[in-house]
Amino acid sequence: MTKMSLTERIAMLEASQKGDMVPAQQVWDLVDSVKEMFGQKKGGLHATSQLFHELGELAKYINAAKKELKDVQNSNLADQHFPNATNHLDAIVQMTEQATSKIMDECDRLNMFHNDMRERLINMDPPLDPNVLAGVDDAITQAQTSITHVFEACNFQDITVQRIQKVVKALQEIERQVLRMVLVFGLQENDDKLDAKTKEELKHEAELLNGPQLAGQGLEQDDIDAILSKLL
Amino acid sequence: MAVDKNMRILVVDDAQTMRRIVVNLLRQLGFTNMVEADDGTTAWERLSSEHVDFIVSDWNMPKMTGIDLLKKVRESEKYKATPFIMVTAEGKRENVIAAVQAGVSNYIVKPFNAATLKEKLTKVVGDF
Repeated sequence: MTKMSLTERIAMLEASQKGDMVPAQQVWDLVDSVKEMFGQKKGGLHATSQLFHELGELAKYINAAKKELKDVQNSNLADQHFPNATNHLDAIVQMTEQATSKIMDECDRLNMFHNDMRERLINMDPPLDPNVLAGVDDAITQAQTSITHVFEACNFQDITVQRIQKVVKALQEIERQVLRMVLVFGLQENDDKLDAKTKEELKHEAELLNGPQLAGQGLEQDDIDAILSKLL
Repeated sequence: MAVDKNMRILVVDDAQTMRRIVVNLLRQLGFTNMVEADDGTTAWERLSSEHVDFIVSDWNMPKMTGIDLLKKVRESEKYKATPFIMVTAEGKRENVIAAVQAGVSNYIVKPFNAATLKEKLTKVVGDF
């Protein structure tokens, strides 16, 4: 039988939609592939090391991404300092709110100009031809309808902020869980290299990450950098 | 029965931008008497100190959420029959059910436009 990759075998089983009709050999092949992946054939330690390495890479990537985000913010708001994701969010909220507010201010001004224009045309002396006046009035009404549509489009600000809040919350949770796994695996992997004091510190940090972060009790950026440098 | 365009409408939202949008759209629909509150607690204080004919409230707010405000409003003798429209970014089925159970008059999912607002208002207070 032609050797298939794990992905191909899973895809084939899913496509069949009836696991009980799949030949037993294919199921055994799949089990073998999973065992091989987790190092049962090549040794369990190898798989743990590989997983730890992958998690380490993921943690480093998240850490680097956060720093890149900080760089972007620094170039735009040089005199402000945002130590964490919540502050990044606040900055986005502030900036979009200011921009939206400015757009709506200008819309209000346009509405005011249009009303003023309509008033002047109605009160012209000698009066304007009624057909011309009706045409201009219609054009002003259309312009004001467009202004209403601009107001409606400003809905984006509130929706954007709410979605960003959810994304930030999800990212914070992923980061916390990845870092916790790095700590747990790192303690196992580096058991003989770490001194007792460092092990205790890392265990304490793993405990801190094992639950929702409370204000003032979570890990700051410097703590995360220190953990990664000790273990990776 | 003709809708009183001068009825007092309380617009509740913690986002100033959203309050401004709702007030502007109501103005475009011909309503002239709008007051604002930036969360449920402030809204309740306003409701206790002045008369309001109609409430348009956001759901997600600090201190007191829209659903808590709705429950408080429905428990009060003065406002138990006052029209209350809930505005929210989340169209979750369970939220809609919770709002209906709490006595909401209608429900708007963001983003919305003047036509949607008019449609919901018409369903609650009649044609205008």
